[in-house]
Amino acid sequence: MSLLTVSNLTKRYHRGDKTIAAVDDVSFHIDSGETLALAGPSGSGKSTIARLVLRLIEPDDGRIDFEGDDFLALNGAALRVRRARLQMVFQDPLAAFNPRATVARVLDDPLRIHGIASRSERPRRIAALLERVGLTADLAPRAIHEISGGQRQRVAIARAVATKPSLIVLDEAVSALDVSVRGQILDLLLDLQRQERIAYLFISHDLGVIRAIAHRVVLLDAGRIAESGDACAVIDAPQSAIGKALVAAAPRLNRTKQDAS
Amino acid sequence: MSPLRRFLRTPEAVAGAILLAVLIAMALSAPLLFPGDPQAIAGPALLSPFQDWSLPLGTDRLGRNVLAELFHGARTSLAVGLAAAAAALVVGAVVGTLAGFAGGLVDEVLMRITDAFQTVPSFLLALAFVSVVGSSLGIVAIAIALGTWTGPARVARAEVLSIRERDYVAGARVIGMHPLVIAFREVLPNALPPVLAMSSVIVAAAILTEAALSFLGLGDPNRVTWGGMIAEGRAVLRTAPFLSIVPGIALVLTVLGVYLAGEGIVETTAVRRGLS
Repeated sequence: MSLLTVSNLTKRYHRGDKTIAAVDDVSFHIDSGETLALAGPSGSGKSTIARLVLRLIEPDDGRIDFEGDDFLALNGAALRVRRARLQMVFQDPLAAFNPRATVARVLDDPLRIHGIASRSERPRRIAALLERVGLTADLAPRAIHEISGGQRQRVAIARAVATKPSLIVLDEAVSALDVSVRGQILDLLLDLQRQERIAYLFISHDLGVIRAIAHRVVLLDAGRIAESGDACAVIDAPQSAIGKALVAAAPRLNRTKQDAS
Repeated sequence: MSPLRRFLRTPEAVAGAILLAVLIAMALSAPLLFPGDPQAIAGPALLSPFQDWSLPLGTDRLGRNVLAELFHGARTSLAVGLAAAAAALVVGAVVGTLAGFAGGLVDEVLMRITDAFQTVPSFLLALAFVSVVGSSLGIVAIAIALGTWTGPARVARAEVLSIRERDYVAGARVIGMHPLVIAFREVLPNALPPVLAMSSVIVAAAILTEAALSFLGLGDPNRVTWGGMIAEGRAVLRTAPFLSIVPGIALVLTVLGVYLAGEGIVETTAVRRGLS
């Protein structure tokens, strides 16, 4: 039984009398502890799939099974409780937090909402979470806009793992970071996956990063699956037109290949 | 440069702040300087200003001390103005946030109610409300708020519509926060600045509306109000015009002060927000 099974997922948008399928009959699955990458050009439906899987938007058709339950059937309080198991990290770590928030408040919210720790216990849990993602506990009282982009993304990851999820959706989670920070964040993600068997749905347009972190990859084009399979195999020898175009457009790929081998 | 220093470098803001400070000082010192009932008879009727220095601004038709009435009137104006504006802002912000954040049917219903309130002239609404319910200070404040909450509601809704699409609202949903908590803890505080920017205009308008209601005899009868003083003086406008002019000037200066100081605050904070 897969952790997450997405079957025939479809999301259409109506513009005037034209109907555009942002996601068209997409099916895939993720096993626990596995990383599945979704890649494709802009507008291929990657982020829409992420939002559908997280129930931030509702699909027009299809089925999502998460941890053995029909995820689309959950609503209200039951859905909010289950959200603890399915978290997300956004692309822009500054936009992902309330501009008034402090680091401590950001991490306090999930612990409080899901009743993970009592009020008196929470400061210690927050400190532990910060240390878990490679930050120091003295960052807790700082405002979100006072810390660096890399630190912010670490806080976002700490928030995502606070509720002990089985799956984290990473929507372009390293795209906005500079190259040196990107490597450290990827290492942190791999480390968390090894220790806590968290599965990742990793959305990116960067094939080099995907090759470094993903087990399998799904290539999307205009809302449909163009190609899928083992990440290295697909990127090294793409079969579909869009796969070839994406690989050709990735300038750093050759160097990554040498590093990897 | 700190916001305070930028505020102090704007002449009109400083002028507004001084006028407002004088008004507040008058309101606060009224019971100390003029203890007892300001509506009690204090001397001969219709004494002109600057004749008797124990009654510097003279007396009205019944021999009441105009200066005492002016000080006590400042209390009423300020209390009603602030209470009405606060009520309008709170109700408007809450309604606007709920409408904008919930969307769909809730939005439709709340905005049609807002439309209904907005189509009725706010003064007429206040007039009708006071004449039906009665006229105590609190009722007058509610009556004025009834006609002014629609502006803040629309501004708050527009702001919430843009904020609810931001990532941090999606992030709050992902961690399982209740929609009402998201609306009032994550969204509302960030939608407030443009709503609060309206407060100076609302306070000024509320003070004027209160004066107009009192002028028509619909204010709180147990309190001295500037509008009531103007109405009182109207009967002797030819022989003792000062009875209408003195509270009239006070009213103009108050509204001007509130408006200038409020705009000054908005300007200085807007610059700061723009820079950051």
